[in-house]
Amino acid sequence: MADAPASPNGGSFESGEQSPRSNVREQDRFLPIANISRIMKKALPANGKIAKDAKETVQECVSEFISFITSEASDKCQREKRKTINGDDLLWAMATLGFEDYIDPLKIYLTRYREIEGDTKGSAKGGDASAKKDVQPSPNGQIARQGSFSQGINYPGSQSQTQHLMVPMQGTE
Amino acid sequence: MRQAGVYSGMVSGGRTGPHLLPLARIKKIMKKSGDNVKMISGEAPIVFSKACELFIEELTRRSWMVAMQGKRRTLHKDDVATAIVATDIFDFLVDLVSSGNSINPLDFSPVEMETVLES
Repeated sequence: MADAPASPNGGSFESGEQSPRSNVREQDRFLPIANISRIMKKALPANGKIAKDAKETVQECVSEFISFITSEASDKCQREKRKTINGDDLLWAMATLGFEDYIDPLKIYLTRYREIEGDTKGSAKGGDASAKKDVQPSPNGQIARQGSFSQGINYPGSQSQTQHLMVPMQGTE
Repeated sequence: MRQAGVYSGMVSGGRTGPHLLPLARIKKIMKKSGDNVKMISGEAPIVFSKACELFIEELTRRSWMVAMQGKRRTLHKDDVATAIVATDIFDFLVDLVSSGNSINPLDFSPVEMETVLES
């Protein structure tokens, strides 16, 4: 059997993936550092600089954040005997774990995302043009899905801003 | 100076489409969170793409305040670590920043690294 001709002990690399501290499959465990760096710079004043070790630390923290929230959401799904983790579960988990400040921006983001998606069928390039157009939210699809994020779930510490969600973005003259 | 709103941030992401962070990668990290994580709705990584942005911004701002207190204008790992220890909601990160440096390249043999990268 010549399973792994290129590497003398290729099997060990595969098993290395299991270890949370292994760097073998970095692209599976972390978000790209360039993206992280870009977002960090947005949060700093123009004269602020970021050392490489700070970027790498934040990069690790982001993966930990995703796992932390996902685990909590996953537990909730198990308790409720559901198989799929959805956006509501994540929002609930964030609110439960102290990130209630993120809930309202996330709801707004999702609403806008759905407007773009509904408008351009997932084309990212068309997104900019569609922003200027007058978007007519389709009454059944859009509103119904927005409703799932604002009804039936009480996020601790978060004032539900249902009306806010319904306001279209395009009114900025 | 142009003030980028949330909306323009979404569409000006460029390389990664409307989101600043790659959704496929987010999904991979989600799946590694536990054995019970099997199915993930399409919207979940989208929620995370924005949530991670908020998280990175908050962590960076808090770290920056630490750096400023030390009269420095460059953010270092120690500033991030100090900010994490000082912030309640970042408690889950304390082990990560206190238990040695897990992304230290000396932690693994350079031979293995090269083999992986070249193969």
